[in-house]
Formats: sequence, structure tokens, C-alpha cells
Amino acid sequence: MGNNTFKTAWPSALILAMAALWLFFSSLPGLGYHWQWYRLPRYFATFQDGAFIPGPLLRGLAATLEITSLSLIFCFAAGLLAALLSGSRSLLARALAALYVELVRNTPLLVQIFFIYFVIAPVLGISRFWSAVLALSLFEGAYASEIFRAGIASIRPCQWDASYSLGLSTFQTLRHVILPQAVRRVLPPLVSQAVSLVKDSALVSAIAVHDLTMQAQVIASDTFLVFETWFAVAGVYLALNLALSFLATLIERAARLEQ
Amino acid sequence: MEKAPERGGGERNGSVLSVRSVTKTWPGGAAALSSVSLEVRHREVLVVIGPSGSGKSTLLRCINGLEPVDSGEIVVNGIRLGREKKSRDLVRRQVGMVFQSYNLFPHKTALENINLAQRLVKGRTLAEATEKSLALLRKVGMEDKAGALPARLSGGQQQRVAIARALAMNPSLMLFDEATSALDPEMIGEVLDTMRAIAREGTTMVVVTHEMGFAREAGDRVVFMDAGQVVEEGAAKTFFDAPAMERTREFLSRIL
Ligand SMILES: Nc1ncnc2c1ncn2[C@@H]1O[C@H](COP(=O)(O)OP(=O)(O)OP(=O)(O)O)[C@@H](O)[C@H]1O
Ligand SMILES: [Mg+2]
Repeated sequence: MGNNTFKTAWPSALILAMAALWLFFSSLPGLGYHWQWYRLPRYFATFQDGAFIPGPLLRGLAATLEITSLSLIFCFAAGLLAALLSGSRSLLARALAALYVELVRNTPLLVQIFFIYFVIAPVLGISRFWSAVLALSLFEGAYASEIFRAGIASIRPCQWDASYSLGLSTFQTLRHVILPQAVRRVLPPLVSQAVSLVKDSALVSAIAVHDLTMQAQVIASDTFLVFETWFAVAGVYLALNLALSFLATLIERAARLEQ
Repeated sequence: MEKAPERGGGERNGSVLSVRSVTKTWPGGAAALSSVSLEVRHREVLVVIGPSGSGKSTLLRCINGLEPVDSGEIVVNGIRLGREKKSRDLVRRQVGMVFQSYNLFPHKTALENINLAQRLVKGRTLAEATEKSLALLRKVGMEDKAGALPARLSGGQQQRVAIARALAMNPSLMLFDEATSALDPEMIGEVLDTMRAIAREGTTMVVVTHEMGFAREAGDRVVFMDAGQVVEEGAAKTFFDAPAMERTREFLSRIL
């Protein structure tokens, strides 16, 4: 299983990463970069008179978390809806789902963010923040819909037969019989989708939403702590996604035990 | 709490199922059923036999609306099965089905499998449904496995739970599609025993099976199907001794 290879490989991966870092740092003198790590912590948080004051990076992280968790909910909702529409008997519903998925998957996310912020948002009267959430939800939702669709298709037709023969409606069958099984099956790709969402959320800095990446840009250009800032920010994203994957492993294990 | 189901034409010896000139052709053009007619009376056990591909499963699936028919009429307890959703739902409430592959819901325990439709379709409370489910589990000899997931059960045990699940809806008619064909030989007996017990209680049943012993002793009437047609029909006690048609004789000689 993929999970196992990951588990056995990660100590070696760590050694590789350290070797890469060592190479990088040993080549720095030639670059003449003057490291000032000590200046960075204050941009995470400061203490004044014993009070904890979050700095721009921490506030950016909070914004990123807020945007991604909202987008995660909406993207799964959009993905599920599109998957159900694409499996519907109505031609219009299927066409709608196909249009959505193809449109989103064949245009760059950055363009979609700009389009929603500059074209849709003024019409709907929504803020930068909600433009960002909307763009990310729609974008990741198109991929999630393919995942849900595959999950639903993987359930044997006789489960539908059994459920229908007991008198359940199509909606009840989906809700109580098909989706609980399908979602369990596609949990790993759904987690990858969530990880992509966290990474892609960095693009919302393009419409000046003050997420982690945006704050990093500001700090890097104000203080010239370019390397320190981007190292730290990359580390934060990495930690966030590793935590997400770890959480997913736990959920997956619980789901498997239940089976 | 409802006890015995409402039986539209349900007085003794009334017709529970009537299939009249039902024809079905698959999109490819192959005929699955050609002008099939049969009648099942209250408390009767009709056994359907026939070679593989003769349309037995298709017939059962048409009776509870899992497959639409091209022409002809299916009436269950006075309800005519039409193309519209309403009649299909009404008919499915009257008809229980047991499949060759059990088809339990793998993410639900035995008890939850039996509770689900009672709650969603019959609107029973959790307590009512559970009481009914446990009584049925006891009846099929599975009361100690109420909390087990299907994967932890043997094929025979899964099939007995599936039978209980269908019975929980108080159907007027039970359909069995080769309920023992997927089972290891040593488990066939326990499922046939359960089916015999249900038949003795007076459940109206249509049973597709290759178990001729069961057909002879638990069946009231036997229908032999071949190539989508009813070839011959007769009383179970005598059918196997004196089949009239050549095709029936040939089939029986191969299988007995
Ligand atoms: N969904 C389908 N689409 C097209 N043809 C089908 C479909 N289901 C069944 N058939 C065909 O219809 C015919 C009757 O099939 P059916 O499953 O009803 O036979 P059966 O009598 O139940 O056979 P068995 O004893 O093998 O279960 C067969 O020729 C089969 O190949
Ligand atoms: Mg069959």
C-alpha cells in the first residue's frame, strides 16, 4: 500500500532533505547572503507587557486556515453536487455538471480568481475574502466531483437493487447506502484534494487577501529577510499539510477498523 | 404499530401477484421475456426453474420494478405496476426480495441492515424497528450476531440476515432469486431451512432455485421457463414425475 511505502521511506527522506539543506547552506557564502533569523520571530508574534500579540505571519496563517477550511466544506459540497448531477438522468443536469467541470479544469486558477474578484464579485457585492473562498471552492470542487463520481461508480449496482427493493428512494439510497461506502473508499484522494487546496490557497494573495503568502510577501519586501521569510512560510505550509495527512491516516484507520 | 400487512385482494386464495403477457427486450435486441403470464395466490409458494439465461432473474426484477417491462401487466395486491414512480413505490412496499449475492449493506451491522428501511420507509421509531429486527434475527437464528458487520458473517449467515431484512417490511410477497446458489454446500441447508419455515407460516413466495428437493417439498406449484417463456406449469408434487414437455424433460434430466 502507498501508505506503507511512505512510512518506511520517510526516515530516508529526512536524511535526503538534510543533505540538500547542507548543500544549500554551504553554497551560501558565495552568495554573500547575511542571515538574520533572529529578526523573524517578531513577525510571528510578540509579547508586550506580558500580552501575546500575534504578528502578521500568524494573522496570515489564521486567514489561510479560515479560507481553506471554509473552501474545503464548500468544495466538497460543490463536488458532491456536480457528481450527483453528472449521474442524473436529466440531460440538462449532466450538461451543467460537464460544463462546470470542463470550464474549471481547463482554465488557470489564477485567472479564475481574477475573474471572480473583478467580474463576479462586483455583481454579487461580495468581499475579497469571499471571492477567494468562492474561487477556491469552485476550483477544487471540480476535481472533487471526479473523485466522488469514481467513488459512487465503484459501488456495485446490486447495492442499489437491494436498497430499491426495500422501498428506499434514490435520495435515501444515496444518503444511507451508496455515499457512506463511496466516501470511505475515496478518502485518500479526497485528502490529496484538501492538501492541494491548502497549497492553492496561496494564490489568493494575488487579489490582496492577507493570507500567509501575502503577509510573507510584504515582510520579505519590507525587511529584505527574503530567505528567512520564505523558508519559514514554506515550513508552515509543509507542517500544515503533514498534519492534515496525519489526521486523514487516523480517520482512514478508524474507518477500516469499522469495516 | 402495524401487524399483518394490508392485503388489497388479500382474502384467502385471492391473487397476490398476477403477471399478464409480460414482454421485455434488452436494448441489444435479445428477448428476455416473451409473453410471460403467471398467477400467485395468497399463501402460495411458486417455484420457478429453468436453465441459465432463461429470464428467471429478469422476471423477478420486473415484478418489483427494478426493470421496466416493454408490454404486459404486473399487478401486485391489486396495485398495477406502471412506469411512474408512485406505483413502483407502492409495489415495492408489498414485495420483498432476496438476492443470490445477499447484498447486505457492508457498512452497517446486521441489526442496522434490518432497521434501515423500517425507519426510512415504514417510519418506525428506532425502538420499534429494533424490536422487530431482533425478533426476526431470532427467527432466522442470528440473534447473537445482531452487532456484527456483514464481512464478519459467513455466506449463509449473511443470507439469513438478508431474509430477515426483507421480512421486516411485512411484505405480501417474497421473491427469492437463487438465494442459495452462491453458498458453500454446507451452508445451503441453513438457508433452505429458513425459507421452509417462512413458507410454512403462509408467506406468499416466488422462489427461483436449482434446489429441486426444496421445490418438490416446499413448493405448491412449479413453473419451468426457457428462453424467456413459460414452457410448463404444474403442481409441485407431481411436476417432476411426469413433465409433459420435451424441453422440461431434457432440463430435468440434466439437473436431477
Ligand atoms: N442488464 C442486462 N442487459 C442485457 N441483457 C441482459 C441483462 N440482464 C440479463 N440479460 C440477458 O437476459 C437473459 C436472461 O437473463 P436472466 O438473468 O434473467 O436469466 P436467469 O434465468 O436468471 O439465468 P441464471 O440462472 O444464470 O441466473 C440472458 O440472456 C442475459 O444475458
Ligand atoms: Mg438469475
